Amino acid sequence: MMDMAQAEQIFIEEAQDLLQVMETCLLDIEGGDATPADHIAAIFRAAHTIKGSAGLFGFNTVVGFTHSVESVLDKVRDNKLQMDALLVSLLLDCQQHMAQMIAALSYPALAVNAAQGTFLLEQLGTYLQAPKDLAPAPVAAQTAAADAWSVDVAYGLDVFRDGMDPVSQLSYLTTLGTLEQVSLQYSFPADFDPESCYLHLQLQLKTGAGKQKIEDVFEFIQESSQVQIKPPLTVVEQLEHTPLQPEKLGQLLVDAGAVTPRELEQVLELQKQQTHSSVGELLVQQGAVPTAVVEAAVNRQAHQEHKRASDFQVLKVEARKLDHLIKLIGEMVTAGSANEMLISQTNNEQLQEAFSSITHLIEQIRDGALSLRMVQIGESFSRLKRIVRDVSRELGKDVELDVVGAETELDKSMVEKLSDPLMHIVRNALDHGIEPVDIRTYRGKPAQGRLKLSAYHEAGAVVIEIQDDGAGLDASRIRAKAEEKGLISSEQALSQEDIYRLIFEPGFSTAAQVTNLSGRGVGMDVVKRNIEELRGQILIDSELGKGARFRIRLPLTLAIIDGFEVTVGDTHLVLPVNMIQECLEFEHAELVEDRNYLNLRGDVLPFVRLRQLFQLPQPPASRENIVVVQYGRSRAGLVVDTLNGELQAVIKPLAPIFRSTHGISGSTILGSGDVGFILDIPQLIEYACSTESAR
Amino acid sequence: MSKTILIVDDSISIRQVVGMALRGAGFEVIEGVDGKDALTKCDGRKIHLVISDVNMPNMDGITFVTELKKLAAYRFTPVIMLTTEGSDDKKAAGKAAGAKAWVVKPFKAEQMLDAVNKLILP
Repeated sequence: MMDMAQAEQIFIEEAQDLLQVMETCLLDIEGGDATPADHIAAIFRAAHTIKGSAGLFGFNTVVGFTHSVESVLDKVRDNKLQMDALLVSLLLDCQQHMAQMIAALSYPALAVNAAQGTFLLEQLGTYLQAPKDLAPAPVAAQTAAADAWSVDVAYGLDVFRDGMDPVSQLSYLTTLGTLEQVSLQYSFPADFDPESCYLHLQLQLKTGAGKQKIEDVFEFIQESSQVQIKPPLTVVEQLEHTPLQPEKLGQLLVDAGAVTPRELEQVLELQKQQTHSSVGELLVQQGAVPTAVVEAAVNRQAHQEHKRASDFQVLKVEARKLDHLIKLIGEMVTAGSANEMLISQTNNEQLQEAFSSITHLIEQIRDGALSLRMVQIGESFSRLKRIVRDVSRELGKDVELDVVGAETELDKSMVEKLSDPLMHIVRNALDHGIEPVDIRTYRGKPAQGRLKLSAYHEAGAVVIEIQDDGAGLDASRIRAKAEEKGLISSEQALSQEDIYRLIFEPGFSTAAQVTNLSGRGVGMDVVKRNIEELRGQILIDSELGKGARFRIRLPLTLAIIDGFEVTVGDTHLVLPVNMIQECLEFEHAELVEDRNYLNLRGDVLPFVRLRQLFQLPQPPASRENIVVVQYGRSRAGLVVDTLNGELQAVIKPLAPIFRSTHGISGSTILGSGDVGFILDIPQLIEYACSTESAR
Repeated sequence: MSKTILIVDDSISIRQVVGMALRGAGFEVIEGVDGKDALTKCDGRKIHLVISDVNMPNMDGITFVTELKKLAAYRFTPVIMLTTEGSDDKKAAGKAAGAKAWVVKPFKAEQMLDAVNKLILP
């Protein structure tokens, strides 16, 4: 489980990286050596991401400021504003100010120059026709309450009749600490009764006393009035210093003085009726404590549990060392197969036998080393939980999150690169997918929306699904939008799936209204790119009015695979074993005339002749074989010359010059020293299916 | 001018200890030995707070408070009831009569002062 502090740290690091990008791009533009469109897009994206993430953590000053920066950049991106030297230098100042704000998050001692911020916002305002009223609230107003209890007393009508005197309570409170921002409001009804009390008292109290002590001041009016006392955020610190003992959440909060035993008792009573709610949730609901305090307590508790489960010792290792080890093991695998090949040629059975046990060990070492890099995807999911909670609250939607398969393991580097795409998809699902409560009710759906995150293994791949029960994707709207944006022509025939895929095109966005979160057309294109960089695929299922499902399919690992070697002429090709269904002799007799599919036991199987596809010069061999490969739900046949058998392939990335070569995802060194190309099966299957259906 | 508190209890020691503490805090204290006696002290003079026991001879505390609240001059006078733990039905009756503040016996003098300070200004 990741705690908030860790997540915030990640945000800070991420924001610092993005600010770096912003700075570099701005400096490039200033220096004149830039392709402005790309640079402006990158700067905009940086600001957009920082604003989005800052919002999730409730860093409102950062959000407010960055929003203005983003709005100006949006105009620049739409060519409504010229990126002149003056603007570049203003944006550089803004970048610096943002960096200061971010730095102040981890080192509160670094004061942010609020005057500078206001000045910059005014400057930005001159570029925006309608100045945003989202300017950050004065910093002082936010910090004032940090170490004070907030007391809110709605006096009951009978208070005066009972002989109670609010003034004595106020006077008594002064003996506990200092009062600040005392406000006494009243609202007189039409049937005003001079003996009734219509007062509403609000104040901030700075005190070292616990909640019980403060609540006791109002003990005699507890029944006639509504008294809410919320602890200051400094209680969070106190929580961190409570002694480590196995404790329940409620007790923890009582010990820290954030909740009184009476409140806890009430909430426990309430919980008997609302069994699905947690004590923390109910306490927040009852207004006994702010959410932040409950979270701190939960973290504290998690920390305790963590301490208790000390059997699971974790060792932190530098990723660099691990990568080095895996690289060496890759070399060993390659060297091992070279030896194996030579030994198999010697006819020395004893040597062969001895070496086969080494081969077996190498395989185990390989698997062990690769598993070192594996982490549970739950870590990313828990980051999403927070997002779902905050975003749905911000949008005023009620969303329940289901998580399935959080224990599914994935390569660490993949998990890192996945977190952004997942965040975008989840945000989009919340923002555009799940409807507001009134619309849901009108459509006869349960008021509470459901978002399901699941991860599981399937045919040598990891699948991550994000499923919502919202409005679904509207194909006709997407199409109209894409035509309007000039992404497709109106005559173009597209399947439903193809239309859905348009949302991954750069600059595509269907949201009529620009919200704080999405709708600027940033994101989905990046999502697709990030996933493709991981050799993954993203698929969309959707039913209008019922919901949408995004499925991300990723290879299990990035480093070493169990491969199957085939040759076409003298070219060596390697297929991942787990994608192979079967190998057959290629019988020309069964071919349907001039078509690239054959009849495989009654099923249609499209196939690709790799010799033709890769334009290999040699004439076809007299006997050809066909390898049936499967990826997800589709399959195809690959026509090759000879089948050479299994091997362990250490994946070496192709040089950038080969990146555009379709059908090949990497290369590997074979035992013989030859280079083998690793086939990109998903791409080949797609190619086989599409060329056949295009006819 | 200091404020006046009426303390009603059939126990002399309680009257004395509470009286001492309150006088020490600057209050004027008058005493009643039971409800009936106390009502005679409520002759229209200004009384800022009443502290009353529940169980007393001649007239118990709850009847006393009920009678007291019928008098125009004392309708809004706050009342602290002294009670022993576990007398919830008594408490309910007292509250219905108009005594909203309760202090549980046994109590320390400071606790009584604390309760008083929450109800009236010194």
